[in-house]
Formats: sequence, C-alpha cells, structure tokens
Amino acid sequence: MAEEMVIPAWKRWLEGIGDQVEFFFKFFRNIFTGGFEWSEFVRQCYEIGYRSMMLVGITSFIMGVVLILQLRPTLVSFGAASMLPKTLAVSFVREIGPVIIAIICAGKIASSIGAELGSMKVTEQLDAMEVSGANPLQYLVVTRILATTVMVPILSVIGDIIGLFGGFLALNLRDKMSYNLYFTKVVASIDFSDFLPAFIKTIFFGFAIGFVGCYKGFHSNKGTESVGLAANSAVVTASLWIFVIDAIAVQVTSLLFYK
Amino acid sequence: MMEKAKEKSEQNHKPKGTDEHVIVIKGLKKSFGEKHVLKDINLEVKRSENVVILGRSGTGKSVTIQCIVGLLKPDSGSLKVFGDEVADMSEKELKQLRIKIGFLFQSGALYDSMTIRENLEFPLTRILKIKEQAEIDKRVEAALDSVGLLDSIDKLPSDLSGGMRKRAGLARTIVVNPEIILYDEPTTGLDPITSREISELILSIQKKYNTTSIIITHDMECARLASDRVVVMDDGEYIAEGTFDSLHKSKNKIVAAFFKDIL
Ligand SMILES: Nc1ncnc2c1ncn2[C@@H]1O[C@H](COP(=O)(O)OP(=O)(O)OP(=O)(O)O)[C@@H](O)[C@H]1O
Ligand SMILES: [Mg+2]
Repeated sequence: MAEEMVIPAWKRWLEGIGDQVEFFFKFFRNIFTGGFEWSEFVRQCYEIGYRSMMLVGITSFIMGVVLILQLRPTLVSFGAASMLPKTLAVSFVREIGPVIIAIICAGKIASSIGAELGSMKVTEQLDAMEVSGANPLQYLVVTRILATTVMVPILSVIGDIIGLFGGFLALNLRDKMSYNLYFTKVVASIDFSDFLPAFIKTIFFGFAIGFVGCYKGFHSNKGTESVGLAANSAVVTASLWIFVIDAIAVQVTSLLFYK
Repeated sequence: MMEKAKEKSEQNHKPKGTDEHVIVIKGLKKSFGEKHVLKDINLEVKRSENVVILGRSGTGKSVTIQCIVGLLKPDSGSLKVFGDEVADMSEKELKQLRIKIGFLFQSGALYDSMTIRENLEFPLTRILKIKEQAEIDKRVEAALDSVGLLDSIDKLPSDLSGGMRKRAGLARTIVVNPEIILYDEPTTGLDPITSREISELILSIQKKYNTTSIIITHDMECARLASDRVVVMDDGEYIAEGTFDSLHKSKNKIVAAFFKDIL
C-alpha cells in the first residue's frame, strides 16, 4: 500500500504505453466483434468533415498563396519563374498539405473527441453504457477512429486542391498565366510517387488523431477539470504523433520511391 | 480450486424458490489508495425484495452498488449475484449479468448527444436486439409515461430540468425490464409530489415484474413506501438492519438521526 503512494515518473510513463497498446488491441478486436455501428460511423464522418472543412479550406488557400509569394523572388533570381507551379505542386502535395491539414485536424478533431469522451466519462455516461451491457468501445471508439482514418485523407486531398488553386491566384498577381496552363503544369509535375506516399501518410495521420482523441477521453479522470485536460493533451499528443509519423514516412518513401 | 468447482455445481442444483438469495455479499472490502471506503459489508437480498440503504454522504453506498455490477473491483470478500462470484466472471459472463441488472445512476447519466427517445431505444436495440420499431415505440412510450415524461420524448437531455433528467434516467433503466434494479438516489432533487410518485413507481415495478431492488436514498418517505427492509450504513459498515418500523424505534444514535423527523 505504501509504495503506491509515490509512483516514479518512468513507471507511470511505461504504464501509459502499456495502456495505449491495450487500447489499440481492444479497438481492433471490437471492429470485428458484434455489429458495426454504421449510422454512428456515418454521423461521425459527416461531423468531422463538416466541422473541419472551412478551416482546412482557408488554411490551405492561404498556404498556397504564401508559398508562391515566398518562392517567387528566389526562383526569379535563378531565372526559373516558370518552375513556380511545379515547385509549389511538389512541395504542397508531398509535405506541406498533409502535415498542415493534419495539424489543423489534430487541433479541431482530436480535441473535440477528447473533450466529448472525457465529459461522457465525468458524467458517468461511459459507465452507464457499460453497465447496460452495451460496449462503449464499439459504439464510441471504433466509429470515431475509423471516421478520422477515412476523413483526414479526404480532407487532405481537398486541401491540396484548394492550396494549389490559391497558388494559381497568387501567381496571377504578378505574372499572367492561364488557368489551363497552370493546372497542366501542376498535373504534369505531380507523379504517382508524389501523391501515393503522401496519401498513405494521411491515413496514418487520421488514425493517430482519432486514436489519441479517444484514448485521452476514455482514460481521463473523473473531475470537471479533466475534460479540459483530456482535450488539451489530445491535441499535444496527436500533433507530436503527426511529426513522428511524418519523419518515419519520409524515410520509408525515400527508400521505396526516390532511390 | 476443487472446492470452488464443487460449490458451483451445488448451486446449480439448488431449486429456485422465492427464498433464494439473489445478491449475497460477504466481508466486502474496498479502498482507494489509503482511503478505506468499504470496511466490512455483509448483505443478502432475496428475490423480489426491496432493500433500502440509508447512510451519510460519502460512506460508500454508491461504491457498494458499483461493485455489484462489476464497475469497481472489490479488494477482498465475496460478492455473488445469482450465485456466481462477480469478480471471477469473464467479460462475456459479466455482460450477460449486466443485461439482467438495471442501474440508475445518481446523476442520471443520460447520453447527452441523443434525444430522450434515442436514450431509451439504445438499450432496446443494442442489448435486447429488438428489431420491430412498433415494439420499440410501445416500450419506450410506456416507460416514459410511467415517469410522466411522454411530452419530452424528442427533447435532448440538456433541455430538461434536473428532476426530469433523473426521471428520464429511471425510464431508461426500467425500459429493459431488468430482474434486479439498483437505484442510486432515485428521488433526490425532486419535489415531494414527484418523489412520492417515483417511490410508488418503484413499488409497483417490484409488484408487477417481481424485481429485486437495492435503493439508496436519503428520502425517508421513499424508504418508508418502497422498502421491505432497511439497512443503515456508516463508515464502511452496516450498523443496523430491519424493517422500517423496527428501525424507527432504534436507540442507535446514527439510526435515530435518520428517523428523527418521522412521526
Ligand atoms: N472511483 C473512485 N476513485 C476514488 N475514490 C472514490 C471513487 N468512487 C468513490 N470514491 C470515494 O469513496 C467514498 C464513498 O463514495 P460514494 O460515492 O460511495 O459515497 P455515497 O455513500 O454514495 O455518498 P453520497 O450519498 O454523497 O452519494 C468517497 O469518499 C469517494 O471520494
Ligand atoms: Mg452516492
């Protein structure tokens, strides 16, 4: 009993990892056992898309504009102004689009999932669901994690398109380039090997956002302040995961695609 | 191990009479860290009996019934429901048990993203797996009618008053017709008229469906109306037990404090 009083930080950290691994396996087991909650899954997809679309659109648009304005002087000084569409397209589709959009989604979606499940925990709704014999993992967690895994890649693709469109408008502030020419250049410069790894990466980003949000909400303490804490640590942890996944993804892709 | 197996087989052969003990708690202990909440709980509840638990705030009444449904794990002691030890149950067995037990949370614990109707449909479609919409509607409306909330059927929990939320929680508990119902303060925060209606409802559920109930309450009117037997709890132990009228005459200071306003 006495040694329970002070648990060393490293031990708590290890326990946290253990809990997360356990949660991960529970999630997988619950995808396939019992009925899949289709209507809740669709509702979550809609909510996530609806809640984040505007923000993702605006951010991507601004990033497209800003990147063109930043790149332009450098490329012009090399006499390579015609490379602008290609440079923007490759950097946006490969890296900037997915990461920026995932970070936005971490702030928007992971926090709201964390807060929602956290408050359900505080108000005993999770207990009530469990006591009734229903499975909160199946109804709440599986649907949310799968919804983010599906929706974040879709949002990323939409964000890419809006960002490239923003780039087009910014380009036309100085140079006149036709819509057709710009997008022909853009499409020609994006290989399958640019798009596919980036797209796969966003699937993992989506999973991390849903998983971290659910884990933090589900494992929050019982107390009103823990709702805010769950939301907050969901954002921080999910953002961290996004960068870690990005770092791993770039290694894997360069091994497979850009030899 | 051998003994346990023998015990189990004996229980299976026991005839199910009306005197059968549905819940048997022996020497139950539970602490949170250094805090010993339950010190030595002993309680037996017979089939279709209403037992009221009285006790001061923070003495562990809610913890006791949370142990019964396996939400909390006791540190030691035995807790059997329908003859089986709750702590030894597999996930599946525990789920089967929980389907038979209704649990009214002190806070109501309504799912706040769902309307009242959806709250009540949730256990019907997900746990009892009822498919026919007509059957679902009938049961939902009957349950809401019995707590006087039929008008609010399509409202969200956030649009209801505290007392209404409590009654909606009660409706969600009884809509599945459980064999055991654990009520955590069913009448707290309700006006005297509604309280009385709820107490009478608890009694009528018992009569109609032969349910076994544990009712935690501070409401002496509810205890008088709904109880077959009352236990008084203090500091993690049961200190007195008997019918409402017999406890009324008790000389014990804590027991007398609960009954002092009753004539
Ligand atoms: N999950 C938990 N973790 C830590 N401590 C807990 C937990 N649940 C209850 N406790 C503690 O156990 C004690 C008893 O709590 P319980 O909720 O059973 O009281 P109660 O008798 O139901 O009181 P009330 O009438 O106010 O509802 C309290 O001191 C509480 O702080
Ligand atoms: Mg309580």
